[in-house]
Amino acid sequence: MSRFAWCQNLLEYLAGEKDAPPPGFPVALSNFTFWGIWWGILAAIIFIFAGQSSKFIYIDF
Amino acid sequence: MLTKRQLALAAAVLLASLLAMNLAVIYLTRYSLPRRVTRHARESQPAAVLALGNSLVAAGFDETAFDTGASLSPPHGAANLGLGASSPVEQLLLFRYALARGMRPRLVVYGFYDFQLTAPNQFATGDLIGNRAMLYYVEPFFARRFYTLSFHDALQFRAMYAVPMLADRGAIWAKVEILRRAIAEQGMPPQRINRMGRAADFSLLESDNPEDFRRESEASMNLPLAAPVNELFREAQDAGVTIAVVEMPMRRAHRQLFYDTGWWPPYVTHVRSLLAPYHVIYFDASNWIQDDSLFDDPLHLSPRGAAQFSRRLGSLLGPGTADLPAPSGPLL
Repeated sequence: MSRFAWCQNLLEYLAGEKDAPPPGFPVALSNFTFWGIWWGILAAIIFIFAGQSSKFIYIDF
Repeated sequence: MLTKRQLALAAAVLLASLLAMNLAVIYLTRYSLPRRVTRHARESQPAAVLALGNSLVAAGFDETAFDTGASLSPPHGAANLGLGASSPVEQLLLFRYALARGMRPRLVVYGFYDFQLTAPNQFATGDLIGNRAMLYYVEPFFARRFYTLSFHDALQFRAMYAVPMLADRGAIWAKVEILRRAIAEQGMPPQRINRMGRAADFSLLESDNPEDFRRESEASMNLPLAAPVNELFREAQDAGVTIAVVEMPMRRAHRQLFYDTGWWPPYVTHVRSLLAPYHVIYFDASNWIQDDSLFDDPLHLSPRGAAQFSRRLGSLLGPGTADLPAPSGPLL
């Protein structure tokens, strides 16, 4: 498997499209701690960048 | 495929992560501007004079210069509780907060510009970010009486007010915005900023043109005092506090375009008639600062301008003024 295809498989696995990880990726679906933290990281990224449409005139420097 | 048990356990870890993120938001916003102002209120308990208003007061009222002008001395001098980007609702909350924490001022200086005293406070939850986030955590349900939200937004408000990540989201977004601006400025000439934000942005808060201002003047001629302004003055009067209402200093361009027209004086007369029951002392300070170089941006006084304005205001009010029954006298 090419490096590019491996990365694609990894992203598809992390995004929930595939149930099987690419060869060599150590995290199984049964690892609930990893998946809980991973979803938390995704929630944090959404939270942090959700304000980009807000117009900041006053901003606390 | 995840089993139900694995899904439930992963969801539990996610909830724990969200809890940790809420704790992180509480930590990161512990010195947010509204919290710094409320802390200043707590620390200024003996102050005799309380300045309230939006960023024009926050930037334009210099406590030390006012004290010098009024021959007051700390800690029995002035405390500036002006809050940038605040509406009269937050200003009412700050006044109540100060009183509830034991402050007993003899005088409240309330600064305003344009139609702030009569403009209805109609918000959406999208507006409750930045300094307005204090509406989520300082007397949230008392404050709800003084501004309107749509049915949908009122439901959102109830769901959001107890969750720090949602209530204080604007403080985190502001940090991201500052980072975004820093990245956008790479290789570009730096933009002028001051303590409030990008200087050029503040022209967005003025009317676009005299015609807009005329329309707003006419529309405001029949409006009563905004509910939170009315409540603030009523509570101040009930507490025996003298009220000084100040038209804040504005740049020459603003005065010429808007205040020197025929529409502004009738509006001021209207406002003064609305203020009469509160026996306020009214100052038209809009033209006190003639030198535009004493403004930091289209709206806010620079520290030098603030000192000049505050010293003059202090000297006019004087050390004994707050002890006297407030006159409903002429424009000063």
